[in-house]
Amino acid sequence: MKLERLKDLCELPGISGFEEKVSSFIRSIVEPRVDSIWTDTVGNLIAEKKGTGKSSKKLMLLAHTDEVGLMVKKINEDGTLSFTSVGGVDPRVLMGKKVLVGKDFVPGVIGFEAIHTQDPTALLKTPSMGKLRIYLGYSKKEEAQKNHRIGDPVFFDTQYEEIGDYAIAKSFDDRTGCEVLIRILESLEGYRLDFDVYFAWVVQEEVGLRGSGVAAKQIKPDAALVFENTTAGDNPELPDYRWATSLGRGPVLTFAHSGLVLDKRILDTIVDTAKKNSIEFQYKSRIAGGTDAARLARVISGIPSGVISTPSRYIHSPTSVINVNDFLGVVKLASLLVKEGKVLSR
Amino acid sequence: MKKLIEKLVTISSPSGREDAIREAIAEEIKPYVDSMKIDPLGNLVALKKGKSGKKLLFDGHMDEIGVVVTHIDSNGFLRIDSIGGLSPYMLLGSRLIFETGASGVVDLEGETIKELGESIKNLDFDHIFVDIGAIDKSDAERKAPIGTFGTYDSEFIDLGKRLISKSMDDRIACAIMIQVLKELKDPKDDVYFVFAVQEEVGLVGASVAAFDIMPDMAVAVDVTTGPDTPKSLKRMGFKLGEGPTIKIKDRGSISSSRVVSRLKEIAEKKEIPTQYEVLIFGGTDARGYQTTGRGIASGTVSVPCRYVHSPHEMVDYDDVLNAVRLLKALAEEGVE
Repeated sequence: MKLERLKDLCELPGISGFEEKVSSFIRSIVEPRVDSIWTDTVGNLIAEKKGTGKSSKKLMLLAHTDEVGLMVKKINEDGTLSFTSVGGVDPRVLMGKKVLVGKDFVPGVIGFEAIHTQDPTALLKTPSMGKLRIYLGYSKKEEAQKNHRIGDPVFFDTQYEEIGDYAIAKSFDDRTGCEVLIRILESLEGYRLDFDVYFAWVVQEEVGLRGSGVAAKQIKPDAALVFENTTAGDNPELPDYRWATSLGRGPVLTFAHSGLVLDKRILDTIVDTAKKNSIEFQYKSRIAGGTDAARLARVISGIPSGVISTPSRYIHSPTSVINVNDFLGVVKLASLLVKEGKVLSR
Repeated sequence: MKKLIEKLVTISSPSGREDAIREAIAEEIKPYVDSMKIDPLGNLVALKKGKSGKKLLFDGHMDEIGVVVTHIDSNGFLRIDSIGGLSPYMLLGSRLIFETGASGVVDLEGETIKELGESIKNLDFDHIFVDIGAIDKSDAERKAPIGTFGTYDSEFIDLGKRLISKSMDDRIACAIMIQVLKELKDPKDDVYFVFAVQEEVGLVGASVAAFDIMPDMAVAVDVTTGPDTPKSLKRMGFKLGEGPTIKIKDRGSISSSRVVSRLKEIAEKKEIPTQYEVLIFGGTDARGYQTTGRGIASGTVSVPCRYVHSPHEMVDYDDVLNAVRLLKALAEEGVE
């Protein structure tokens, strides 16, 4: 196993709004390494690593702790559970998948009609989220009600695996980012930077960039770096000009995404740093999709930021795939950027 | 003032790449302002001091819609995506200018008439490509590498009363605000002039520009549609040439009634023609100010404009001059 702690992080359950396990795991690791650490009212975990005071500037590093998933919407007469999605989930990726339901993580499966009984014309048609059910082995509503209630979170149940350079898991989006922040912090061991660095593991990105704004208001940084996991889309059936990014080509840099054109000077600094250190990188070539950077630009007096991502195939599904080297490239680039501090110079 | 308009609209500065337009505006206004600064996102914020202790803010966005290079194929053809609400239909037959200086033309992929027809029917950015005259991939990578921003490349045309150009949205507001600054001798309130960034991708600059100012009133200046063309939007009743509009509402905001009545009161007093505007789509920077801090009384003054977001946006020069008069009068009479 190349990335033990990423395995732990990815296997932790943490859909938007139910992220305490992820956040407390991170806290237990980083607490001894920082000067102060707190969890705010909405659940953001924020840690501070003080600089020498030579510079009054503050750099914010950000990743989100939440992952996409489901939530129980209704307990049916037959003991099955109906659900809705939390964050963007395509119903096609849910059929036949294992899930964990509620705070006791009761295992269940998302059922579907067997191929034998399906109308051939309906094969491969997208089912509506409303028609899918979670089966937990109950035979009637009363049994299900003993252990479950409306509002129970539902988590994908996927064990992390590595096969060669590739890793498979749920929630690479954005546990890769969470792990990048931890590794940056570790790389600062023995270093004393001139400026203060704040690490923010923020909540509820997937449902609308909700945690990052309030985290930034507590920090008031001069600049931010957002570490994300992003769409690969390098499907062989598509021509390469339709790929957003592709696995194995290194960290993904973003020049613009939904709701924001990223700060040009920060982007240029990231590009120069990657080139100088011979870190292969790629650009995200679709504008669709957004990150917490879009929120940061719109709070206080506006916080300029850069976005660096690990690309992921089958993102927002229970089985996403990354290339381990892309992730390690992000870590290397990120650590250099933080140590050099050039992203703070205006 | 037409010279000033021509100067501003011919600059290519899409959202996030406002350096060129900001420099041009800063140079124009420098002799007329008491102070000027660039904020962390790149908004240009200028102040003309008054005496009342009250604060008035005018906003016009500097950016224009554009494109960005996302892919270069083995023969040197580019693929692009949009920056802001730029329709691929508008690009067919258009010329583009990139920040590197490269020029390009846009065409449609497809071999047969049937294929081309299908491409037009389902037109999106995956069905069009840009030809910058590159001889091969590496030539294209030198001239317009991935991540290069661009805009429409079209000329300013003076038709006398009517003017045509790209980026009237929202350089016409920049021109109006600059003209107000040049003519304004004695404002009642402190007047802040914000030339904002990244409106077209989601009101970015205006969401934060006033955070440290917290003015008593904010007026966004923008273009609105020109719903007076053949079979155009019958549900909206304003026209080119009948004066700048005082916005009541659009999809982004409902103007503060204080702002609306103050503008109307001043327009009547000074005999400036204005029209009321209810726009059934769209939004302006007013939304950003309305939701800043504890909230700012905000509204919008618009210049009716036909063919918005096309390479050829048309405004009426008298509407422009009347917008200058209206904003200048508001600055002189004050927010109350």
